[in-house]
Amino acid sequence: MRDKELETRLRYLTLQLDSWKKLHDFITYGLDKAKPIISAEQERQFTETRSQLLQETEFVLRELNLLAELSGKAMNVLQRASSIRGVRELPNEEIRRLEMEWNGVFTKLGVMQGQLKAQRKKLSGLSVWAYYFQRLIRRPAVAA
Amino acid sequence: MAQVKRLQRRAFRARILLYRAAIFFVETRLLILNADPVFHDRALGLFDQIDGIETRIIRTLSDAITVLLAENFDGFVVEGDAPLAVEQATNARQHFPSLEIVCLVPPTNDERHSKVATQQNLKIIHAHASDRRLDYYLREFVRSLDRPSGTAAEGIDPCHSLIGNLNQFSAAEILQMSCLGQRSGRFTFKSGRGNSEIYLQQGSVRHAVFDRLEGEAAVAEIFRWRQGRFYFEEGIISQVQTVDRPWAHLLIDNLQKLDETLELVSV
Repeated sequence: MRDKELETRLRYLTLQLDSWKKLHDFITYGLDKAKPIISAEQERQFTETRSQLLQETEFVLRELNLLAELSGKAMNVLQRASSIRGVRELPNEEIRRLEMEWNGVFTKLGVMQGQLKAQRKKLSGLSVWAYYFQRLIRRPAVAA
Repeated sequence: MAQVKRLQRRAFRARILLYRAAIFFVETRLLILNADPVFHDRALGLFDQIDGIETRIIRTLSDAITVLLAENFDGFVVEGDAPLAVEQATNARQHFPSLEIVCLVPPTNDERHSKVATQQNLKIIHAHASDRRLDYYLREFVRSLDRPSGTAAEGIDPCHSLIGNLNQFSAAEILQMSCLGQRSGRFTFKSGRGNSEIYLQQGSVRHAVFDRLEGEAAVAEIFRWRQGRFYFEEGIISQVQTVDRPWAHLLIDNLQKLDETLELVSV
C-alpha cells in the first residue's frame, strides 16, 4: 500500500535535495579558481535555484518537522551565498563555515530521505487490511 | 472433452494471472515538468497514489530535454498555464516525435491551444477538474502508456552481418558507413523505447518504421537513441517506400535537429 503523507514528504525531500545539490554545484564552481569565467547565464541560474530554496525551504522543513533544527543553517547558507561571484570573494573562514552549514543541511535531509524510503519499502509489502490491523493491535492501552 | 475444456480454462486463467503480474512489475516512467512542484502539487499528489509508476519531477524545459536525451520515459507531463505548457510541449514534440505528451492546463477559452495540441499530437487534461475526475484522467493516461515492449531482445543470429551497441556507435555513424558501402538490407534497432527498422537499398534509405511513425519521422527518432542494440540483415528489401530523399540530406537535417535539441539543453 501507499501512504499519501509519506509519498508527499518524500517528494518534498527529493525536490529539496535536488535544489541543494544544484546550489552546491554552483558554489563549487565559484570556488574553483581554475574556472575564472562566471557568465551572466550561470548567475541567473544560481539566482533561480536560490530563490526556489528561499521560497520552499521553510515550508518543506516545517512539513518534515525539521524547521527548528535546520532553518538557521539553511538561511545562513542562502544569505552568505548571494551570487557565484560573491561566493568567490568570500574570506576563507566564511567559505569554511558555508561549506559546513551546507553539509549539515544536506546530511540531515539525506538521512531523512533514507528513513522515509525504508518506511515506503516496508509499507509496499503490506495490504491495506494488514496495515490497519497492525496499527490496531499495536495501539497502546491508555488509562482512563 | 470436459477435461480438455477444464485444461483450457486453467491455461486461460494462468495467462491472465501472468498478464496481471507483468503489469504490476513493469513500472511506467513519467517525466513531469512543473515549475513550482512544491506549491502547485495537486496532480503530483494524485500521481503519487497510482501504483506501478515512477515519476521524476523537473522544473525547466532545458532540464527536461537533458533528462529525456539521457533516459527512457514512457510519458511526458507538462503542467502549467495553457500558453506556456502548450509551447513547451510543442517544443518537446519537435525533438521527441514518438513521446506521449500530455499538457495539464487550466481550462481556457482560447481555441488556438487545442488546435496546436491536436496538430502536435498532444493530449490535454484540465487541471481544474475535481479530484476524482482528475485522478480518473491521470489514471487513464497512465493506462494508455502500458505496453508490453520492454528491454531489448538479445541474441546473435548468423544471418546478422553487423551487430553492435548504440552506446559505442550512434545510428548516424552506422548508417553513414552502410550507405557509403552501397549496402542493401534491414537495420533493426532495439531499445527500451521499442523496436525500429530502417531499410536500405543500394546505399540509400528506402523505408523506416518505429511504432506509429514511418519515413523521415522514424529516422529522426532513431537518430536520438543513445542506448540499445542494432543488427543488420543483408539483402532484406522493403516493398514500401516512405523515404525518398538522399541519405546526405537526411543526415544533415537530422544532425541539425540534434544540434538544436542540444542547444535547448544548454540554455
